[in-house]
Amino acid sequence: MNPALDVTDLRASVGDIEILKGLSLQVPFGEIHAIMGPNGSGKSTLCHVLAGKEAYTVSGDARLDGEELLGKPTDVRARMGLMQGFQYPVEIRGVKLVDFLKEAADEAGIDEDEAVRRIAESGDQFDMTRFLTRSVNQDLSGGEKKRSEIFQMAVLRPKVVILDEIDSGLDIDAVREVAGAVEAMRSPEVGIVLITHYSRILRYLSADRIHVMMEGRIIESGGPELAAQLEAGGYEAFRARLT
Amino acid sequence: MLDRSIAEHRITREPPVLAERRRQGLATYETAAMPTAADEHWKYVDLDFTMETQSLPAQMGAKMAPPTGVSRVSATVVDGFVEIDPEHPGSVEIARFDEVARRNPELFSAVVASRSDDIFLAGNAAFAGDGLFIHVPRSTAVETPIVIDIQSVSAGTISFPHIAISLGENSEASIVLIFRSSEEELVVAPVVETTLGDAARLSMTSVQTWGRQTKGLGYQRVRLGRDSAMKMGEVGLGGALGRLDLSVDLDGDGSSYLLNGLSFGDGDQVLDYRMVLNHRGRNTSSDVLLKGAVEDQAESIFTGLLRIEEHATNTSAFENNRNLVLSAGAKAQSVPNLEILCDDVVCGHGSTVGPLEEEHLYYLASRGIGRERAERVLVKGFFDEVIDKLPSQSVAAPVRDEVERKFVAAQAAGRLG
Ligand SMILES: Nc1ncnc2c1ncn2[C@@H]1O[C@H](COP(=O)(O)OP(=O)(O)O)[C@@H](O)[C@H]1O
Ligand SMILES: [Mg+2]
Repeated sequence: MNPALDVTDLRASVGDIEILKGLSLQVPFGEIHAIMGPNGSGKSTLCHVLAGKEAYTVSGDARLDGEELLGKPTDVRARMGLMQGFQYPVEIRGVKLVDFLKEAADEAGIDEDEAVRRIAESGDQFDMTRFLTRSVNQDLSGGEKKRSEIFQMAVLRPKVVILDEIDSGLDIDAVREVAGAVEAMRSPEVGIVLITHYSRILRYLSADRIHVMMEGRIIESGGPELAAQLEAGGYEAFRARLT
Repeated sequence: MLDRSIAEHRITREPPVLAERRRQGLATYETAAMPTAADEHWKYVDLDFTMETQSLPAQMGAKMAPPTGVSRVSATVVDGFVEIDPEHPGSVEIARFDEVARRNPELFSAVVASRSDDIFLAGNAAFAGDGLFIHVPRSTAVETPIVIDIQSVSAGTISFPHIAISLGENSEASIVLIFRSSEEELVVAPVVETTLGDAARLSMTSVQTWGRQTKGLGYQRVRLGRDSAMKMGEVGLGGALGRLDLSVDLDGDGSSYLLNGLSFGDGDQVLDYRMVLNHRGRNTSSDVLLKGAVEDQAESIFTGLLRIEEHATNTSAFENNRNLVLSAGAKAQSVPNLEILCDDVVCGHGSTVGPLEEEHLYYLASRGIGRERAERVLVKGFFDEVIDKLPSQSVAAPVRDEVERKFVAAQAAGRLG
């Protein structure tokens, strides 16, 4: 069986500046992997490059369930099954969340009855029902925005989910709530990549693997014990391994 | 050539207040000059006709098919001639100007008040056909919306529809104004004057879908009494030229004015919005949101002035103008202005002019929504924000359809971007 996400020697640069410098990563279906790294290590760039945001020169290989992602436009990658949860989801006035999801579902070939059913069910599960007729992300708190991202994925059911700093800027209750939502998304049909700066969200969900990212590469991978090491010694302790 | 004898003949038959008004209008009209682009107030607009190349309609032209999306029409104005539905809601008085001027000259003069050197306003006073007067008596609430269908149909004419709306103290009503025209080449300069008595509440929705050979020069004058509240919806979609000169006087303490409007210009349409809000009373509030899109070679102009007078303490006034420029050849101008003579106020104004935001398109793409659909969803959402707030939701569906039709046509012709 293919891994949900299989990245090999991924490099990305903007102009002369190389940001991702040969990153490799495998995320099997059914697992939650955390990528931890200090500010500026290239975490958001990894999200953008995988999602297909223009502006980067990219080489290497990134496969979703065996299919090549690189070189395809963002909307095609999303329909192949890759979706990112944004660190700062944009507010889109006038576009109601429910209509937005129906359009996305229609584009993905999900029939309308099924879409309506999923919206109702997941709306309930993630406590998003009252936001359905409001504009996408408008006037939502930080935690509500992150919950909305997860809710959208629960409806659209991607094969790979990448969540960029879904825990940043949230108070502790919201972190716990969002962690619960991530855990609720776990299924044999999806591989989840959770990008974070802090280990605190890892207390509220069980990540199968932790990857430490520095200077555009994964420099260490391991089990949950890595998070504990990071918490004790910070990123500095890992810096020595860079060379 | 505007036939003065039509006005002169009317003067001989009309009740004194109306005849006097016409006489003054005629005198002003004779000395008024056609505006030019050098006139700040008419900048950007090319009036490629003169009054003398147009003629006055001699009688009501052929009526158009009934409008869609609205319930029963209470009065129809065709080329300035009025036809009133005898079955109109009983609690509201709907009559021609001459009848009101005869029966109740004080009421008439209190509402039909505007005097101006402006050639179209003077022309309207001089040459208006029947004039339609809507009066809601004090402490009366009219349940059903009063729908007025204002049509211009006759080729080569300039017509001057005039609607006067008066809400008595503590009354309440909802009005829908539909402005339409034939595909003939013509000019129309409608005037709508609205006066709200103390504590009166009016919802008014105006939808303009003029034909593409119509030059429309609309005027709206609003005066608000103490604690009165007006909610207005304004939709501008048609016309070769669609202009609205809107002036709102918040005279009464505690009065409020809310405007949600939208326009969509395509082809070589010019849509020109001129707005002045005068906050005069104390504790008044206004909130204006106008959204416009232009594509192809269309042009839109918004100039909005919020004027807070010296004694207008505790004023709250907000004005926002948002423009989507969808094609390279289209243009939008936005000039919001504040003139604040009082320091006890909360005011804000904002304006934006630009294409669809890439960040929004990217967000939609990240959910698998392709470019074409994403553009359509975003444009629909852009307008839905105001369409959802039109006071009369009965017009929402046809307005939404027309906006979508315009957008899809632009997209299909590859004019976006
Ligand atoms: N468009 C860009 N142009 C130039 N440098 C960039 C660009 N985007 C990111 N960078 C740089 O790449 C590095 C990684 O950024 P980013 O991916 O945002 O890191 P992280 O999300 O881990 O904090 C930073 O040094 C940042 O300044
Ligand atoms: Mg980041």
